[in-house]
Amino acid sequence: MMKALYRWVDERLSLSELAKFAAKKTVPVHRHSFWYFWGGISLFFFLVQCVTGVLLLVYYRPGPEAYESVRQITNEIHFGWLIRSAHSWSANLMVVAVFVHMFSVYFMKAYRAPREFGWWSGMLLLIITLLFGFSGYLLPMDELAYFATKVGLSIPEALPVIGQPMTNLFRGGLEVSELTVQRFFALHVVVMPAIFLPILVFHLWLVQKHGNATLPSEEAKPESERKSIPFFPNFLMQDLAMWLIALNVLALCASIYPWGIGEEADPLKPAPDGIHPEWYFMSAFQTLKLIGKLFSGELAAFGEGLGITLFTLGLLLWTLIPLYDGKHENGRRARNATYFGLLALGIIVVTTIWGYMSL
Amino acid sequence: MNYPFWDVPIIGSGWVIGIISIIHVLISQFAVGGGLYLVLAERKALRENRLDWLARLKDHSRFFLIMTNVFGATSGVGIWFAIGLAHPESTSTLIHNFVFGWAMEWVFFIVELSSAAVYYYSWNKISHEMHQRVGWLYAISSFCTLVIINGILTFMLTPGDAWIAVAGTGQEASQFWSAFFNPTYFPSLFLRILVCISLAGIWALVSYSRLDYDAQAKGELITWSSKWLIPSFVATPIAFLWYLASVPEVNRALLQLGISTIGSGAFTQVTRIALVMVMTSATIVGVVYFFVRKAPQDFAFGHGLAVLFLAAVVTASGEYAREMLRKPYVIARHMYSNGIRQSEVAQMSEKGYLEKSLWVRPVTDKTNEPELILSKGEAMYRGQCLNCHTTTGYRAMTKLLSGRDHQSIGNLLQTLHDYKDDSPYKKYMPQLVGKSDEIAALNDYLDYVVNKDKSRIAGLMRARESKSVAQAQ
Repeated sequence: MMKALYRWVDERLSLSELAKFAAKKTVPVHRHSFWYFWGGISLFFFLVQCVTGVLLLVYYRPGPEAYESVRQITNEIHFGWLIRSAHSWSANLMVVAVFVHMFSVYFMKAYRAPREFGWWSGMLLLIITLLFGFSGYLLPMDELAYFATKVGLSIPEALPVIGQPMTNLFRGGLEVSELTVQRFFALHVVVMPAIFLPILVFHLWLVQKHGNATLPSEEAKPESERKSIPFFPNFLMQDLAMWLIALNVLALCASIYPWGIGEEADPLKPAPDGIHPEWYFMSAFQTLKLIGKLFSGELAAFGEGLGITLFTLGLLLWTLIPLYDGKHENGRRARNATYFGLLALGIIVVTTIWGYMSL
Repeated sequence: MNYPFWDVPIIGSGWVIGIISIIHVLISQFAVGGGLYLVLAERKALRENRLDWLARLKDHSRFFLIMTNVFGATSGVGIWFAIGLAHPESTSTLIHNFVFGWAMEWVFFIVELSSAAVYYYSWNKISHEMHQRVGWLYAISSFCTLVIINGILTFMLTPGDAWIAVAGTGQEASQFWSAFFNPTYFPSLFLRILVCISLAGIWALVSYSRLDYDAQAKGELITWSSKWLIPSFVATPIAFLWYLASVPEVNRALLQLGISTIGSGAFTQVTRIALVMVMTSATIVGVVYFFVRKAPQDFAFGHGLAVLFLAAVVTASGEYAREMLRKPYVIARHMYSNGIRQSEVAQMSEKGYLEKSLWVRPVTDKTNEPELILSKGEAMYRGQCLNCHTTTGYRAMTKLLSGRDHQSIGNLLQTLHDYKDDSPYKKYMPQLVGKSDEIAALNDYLDYVVNKDKSRIAGLMRARESKSVAQAQ
């Protein structure tokens, strides 16, 4: 019965060709193979967010009722708290996974030719992921979300010339309000998915086209000494096992530390102590704060602008690394790129910890 | 109260019991299921004349002996120490009520320990028939320890009407059997047997995952061991529903509380923990199917540890949920989780809680010295709150009472003292007992812990200091 059904589908969709392709495709095996799973884990968390996001859409009401609708989801609707917690936790875990994926790709030098577009599309996906997080954070419209967004929007506002009009456009005025929630909601559920999905498809297509990159040390080995496993079923099984582990981690986080909701935002109240952006913006927040401290009085605005310019330049350099270290040679450029990566990682870790300690 | 109070900062005394218990349950249930596993595996090996299996089983029985007789036995003693310190009143009740039960338990326990040692050390030294008899002796005696301890553990959740009728009369032992075979006894026993069988298989997977030098035996033994998880997969949902049906409605309500909310003040951990149990159990099914059944020879030590870790999560969640279901009691309908008997509540509220507390420094009511008020309040806190709360760690008072001033804390304490039927706290917190001055002292103490310099007591201290400075000038 099942065989007949498969044959019927296969005749129409050529599934066996797909299976043949998957069986032919191989994945390198070496002592750093573990890092290959992180792209898949990021994808898994994104899928969880799509599913839970759609469920939240059923009850969420943007605008003046935003807070009340999230309160109902958290405190009244059956398993609403679980769906919301899974959505928020998977967003955070996705950012973790994407960062790990990006650094593993960087240090394995998987951005080199012919994988430059893979790296660039990945960087775009990372930036949109962070924007997903930023826009989603405001939607509950509780006290913390309100003030954190206010602080977050003050960063692009410091950009020279375009800062003010651009921020006003996103905010829907001079202050964070219900209009901002409407706009962030539109960005979060329509605009950004519409940009994210085609880039994601392009990114995955490139991974299929070029296959997994091997380490430079593995590339130096003769063909006969390199090990690999078939993508289907071996690697896929391992990938699914990692998804299962990721699902467990998510379930544990969502069940044991469910996402609560604070008091409703009141713009007339003073900001509570220690307000800060989400952890993945903490490094940028702290760096800007440190640079800002170097300048005071009339030069404060210049300090903020300088900080953002430096940050943008750093990000640009990071993105353009395949153009600098694009050849498969372990020379001076390769070493410099590695040092640059270690420096970036060090700055992110140190400024993030510093940021939390100075709250 | 007849005993001193055990203050464990940050994690609280409950988690000391919890951590030791989780380790103990994971090993002791392996001890029960693993005994049956060994004899059945040995019988299969002998029937099929698989000498290679016998050699591997001997190695596994050494692992089994070390795990159960060393770690299992010492963690069991650890539980006694921990419950004796954290819950002396309820431990005393269990000992007094089940003297005969404990005696039986320890007899079987000695037989179990001895036969496990004989079983391992007599491999290839006595006949196969005799060796198997020793194995059966172990399996039966360890099963009997489960049969007995299950009666005592389930008694704490559902002591039964007959025992409750005589509780506090000195005639409790007359209802030994009705307390023992209480309403949740059989579903719980069935559930625990399933868990024991599963754990026998899971520990065997860990043990055989390192058999890379004998790939054939590894593949066969891992496949055979994975079958030990099947009864649990099939029957656990049914057993769990049976268990839930036996639990009183009031306790079941706790499980339903977290379906719709995690709202502040609601006690929703039970539901959330139950979800973790379902999730992790499903994962074990997935891992065992995809990795063990599909590619047994590739099953690595890391996979084994991962399955064991998941089993530990399920066990921990299950035990935690069971403990939570009992709230606000430690022995249902008889003794609250802070060791106060339900029958003592009225008397303590009339004559005073600290009057009966032998380990509290005498505090006179005739003075309004802030330190003495705090001392009295702290004694109330240690006696009635410390069993479930800590000051700054697990279920921290500073967090739970954050944002409340002196008046607001007082209102909460009054709600807990009045213990009206519609009080949301009644589902999971004991009634606050004591005279009005004792409750007022607790109010001052908690206000001081939470609000520090802004508290009423700190104000009194400052006023006294100003007064003494003025007098000195």
